[in-house]
Amino acid sequence: MELKTLAILIPMLPLIGAALVGVVGLRGLRDRSHWLVLTGVGLSLVAAVWLSRIVKGGVGEPVVESLTIYEWISAGAGSWLNVTFRVDALTSVMLLTVVGISFLIIMYSVGYMRDHHGHAERGYERFFAFLGIFVFSMTTLVLAGNFLLLYLGWELVGLSSYLLIGFYYQRPAAAAAAKKAFLVNRIGDFGFGLGIFLIYLTFRTLDYNAVFDMVERGVMADGTLLETSRITTIALLLFCGAMGKSAQLPLHVWLPDAMEGPTPVSALIHAATMVTAGVYMVARCSVIFASSPLAMTLVACIGAATAFFAATIALTQFDLKRILAYSTLSQLGYMFLGLGVGAFDSAIFHLYTHAFFKALLFLCAGSVMHAMGGVIDIRRFGGLAKGMKVTAVTFWIGGLALAGCPLLAGFWSKDEIVHAALYSNMPWLGAVALVTALLTAFYTFRMIFITFHGPLKLPQGVEHAHESGRWVTVPLMLLAVGAALAGYVGATWHPGGFAGLFETEGPIHHFLATVFAPAQAVLGGGHGEVGSHGGASYWATYWLMYISSALAFWGIVTAWYFYRRAPMVPGAIALWAAPVYRLLYNKYYVDEIYDVVFVRPLRRFGGLCYDADRFFINGLLWLIAAVPRAIGYGLRGWQHGAMQGYALAMVVGLLAIMLWALIRSAA
Amino acid sequence: MDMTEPRALMVIGAVLFGLGVVGFLTRRNLIVMFLSTEVMFQGVLINLVAMGLARGGNLHGQAFGLFVLVIAAVEAGLGLAIIVMLFRRRGTLDAEAWREMRG
Repeated sequence: MELKTLAILIPMLPLIGAALVGVVGLRGLRDRSHWLVLTGVGLSLVAAVWLSRIVKGGVGEPVVESLTIYEWISAGAGSWLNVTFRVDALTSVMLLTVVGISFLIIMYSVGYMRDHHGHAERGYERFFAFLGIFVFSMTTLVLAGNFLLLYLGWELVGLSSYLLIGFYYQRPAAAAAAKKAFLVNRIGDFGFGLGIFLIYLTFRTLDYNAVFDMVERGVMADGTLLETSRITTIALLLFCGAMGKSAQLPLHVWLPDAMEGPTPVSALIHAATMVTAGVYMVARCSVIFASSPLAMTLVACIGAATAFFAATIALTQFDLKRILAYSTLSQLGYMFLGLGVGAFDSAIFHLYTHAFFKALLFLCAGSVMHAMGGVIDIRRFGGLAKGMKVTAVTFWIGGLALAGCPLLAGFWSKDEIVHAALYSNMPWLGAVALVTALLTAFYTFRMIFITFHGPLKLPQGVEHAHESGRWVTVPLMLLAVGAALAGYVGATWHPGGFAGLFETEGPIHHFLATVFAPAQAVLGGGHGEVGSHGGASYWATYWLMYISSALAFWGIVTAWYFYRRAPMVPGAIALWAAPVYRLLYNKYYVDEIYDVVFVRPLRRFGGLCYDADRFFINGLLWLIAAVPRAIGYGLRGWQHGAMQGYALAMVVGLLAIMLWALIRSAA
Repeated sequence: MDMTEPRALMVIGAVLFGLGVVGFLTRRNLIVMFLSTEVMFQGVLINLVAMGLARGGNLHGQAFGLFVLVIAAVEAGLGLAIIVMLFRRRGTLDAEAWREMRG
């Protein structure tokens, strides 16, 4: 099949599935509606794989192609804006990740969105339709070949996210969380929109190829020199959007609350795919960011700050899904750190591995939540490993991958980012990332040891921990395989490499190299080069991998010691450092600060406007309306209802006018 | 006085119109009132023809008069239908029965 056909099919198939659910799902299919969306996304996955094979081509460079689907907006002479898809290595990596993970999670949802008797939950059809819409939106975002289409996809995924967070709209907390996500994203998107305006003003086009080409040559549309301040402004505005969508400091507040949505949604949208849209966007615009040292520094700093900040919060939380949400923030921070130090391919690599293990962890958490009758507080259950073998084992694999245990997916990609940061011009960011890696290992295994090990403890009303059905466990196992092995696209067999076995440069780096070559050229080469350390000695090349492995094990062993051997220690530490503990437990009071600084003043301002409207404007309107009313009151007596009376009045009036006309013409 | 003179025709029109007005104002029966409006109508129509004559004797006034006649026929159908409806409502044709439009 042609590339163009495939590129159209990938977003359209899930959309058609979703639309069909809307048409026939509600009437005929009901709790079998998932077949439509599952088939749509499945076929879309096949198309994505096919497309990637075409992109990869033979032995040479990957294909880079812009496909014009149709003329969207035409103005003046010729077309002003087309629906253009850009297909290259970055697109195909993103498509495989998004559609692949979506497929597994939709499969999981079939089992998850039911009660223990297999009856579908309320709104079952709606759920699958929304998931279909999400896959359509996200693939559109990824395939977009110009900034307006990117923005369209960007807003569409925001909409899907809003709809799915608020899926249980009867619950006030879910409705509030959906609203919060939407509003916080609006702030970021405002900046993003302005960035796109500025791109148009500067380059007179929104097409990726044309814009990136001009940035690379350092010129504006009229041929004059592109000033650094201009490109920095563009980059920072675009980054605003990325901060909102990817929940980076200080716009991170919506993501933990978004956990009010159903667990598959948290896994798919708020961990694996949608929140990585910001990372994708920055990587896509790598040339723009690379042209602005200030923007790169800011991206790296915000990334590292978010990574550390979120990891510290995750240490103290008790809500299984929220711990994972903070962990997602932290991992997204890593990706931005990677982008900021110029290791674009490593960031995308981490995005891809993270999608597997974080989706896996969320789905496992969902499986636990399902078995515990909706309870998600890790203080209320424990020792579940015996009853829930598949969930426990897969959670362990996901946890090890997240903690950066050697040879699992997360290890390869995280290590690359840390490496790039340490060898950049801001090595202290690499140090922050290393500390964060330790914290990550600790909080992950804190969660695992409390939930799955020790004496059996169940919440009230739950008799026994039971494993979920096949629809749930099969995706878990598939994702666990991914979490274990996904990293090997970024590593190659190399005797004498890490652990005597591996070289840290893999197919994915070569695959992505063409996409990021312009940005690397702008950065001046060498910067952020990962894996190829030239003629450096063994230890100079691989010391970091041993250090980070050691940190991961240290974190895991500490968690084991704290929560299995000496359960008094964490409490003692919490008491000893009570202020710090309270600060972390309350998430640095960010929500409270926002409440005081933004929410309440704005709400007061809103109240003021409301009162002004009610008293001043409404009063004015009442006054104006009172004039005809008063006149009417005065004249009402004249209306006596007799038809002949009215006719007489008319005749008299007519005569009067005629008389007046006669007198006038006579005079 | 030559009865085909425009001035004479206008007088006839004016008389017809006046009769219609008086009839409309003095009678209480809805059908008679309706007939009176038709009389007024004819008065105006004759006026139209007369003025067409006064402006040079071409057929414009008469042609226009024919159009007005057709419209008047349609309007008469509508008016009668309304009166039938009113009669069904109250069982009387007395205009006094519809005095509820009082302010």
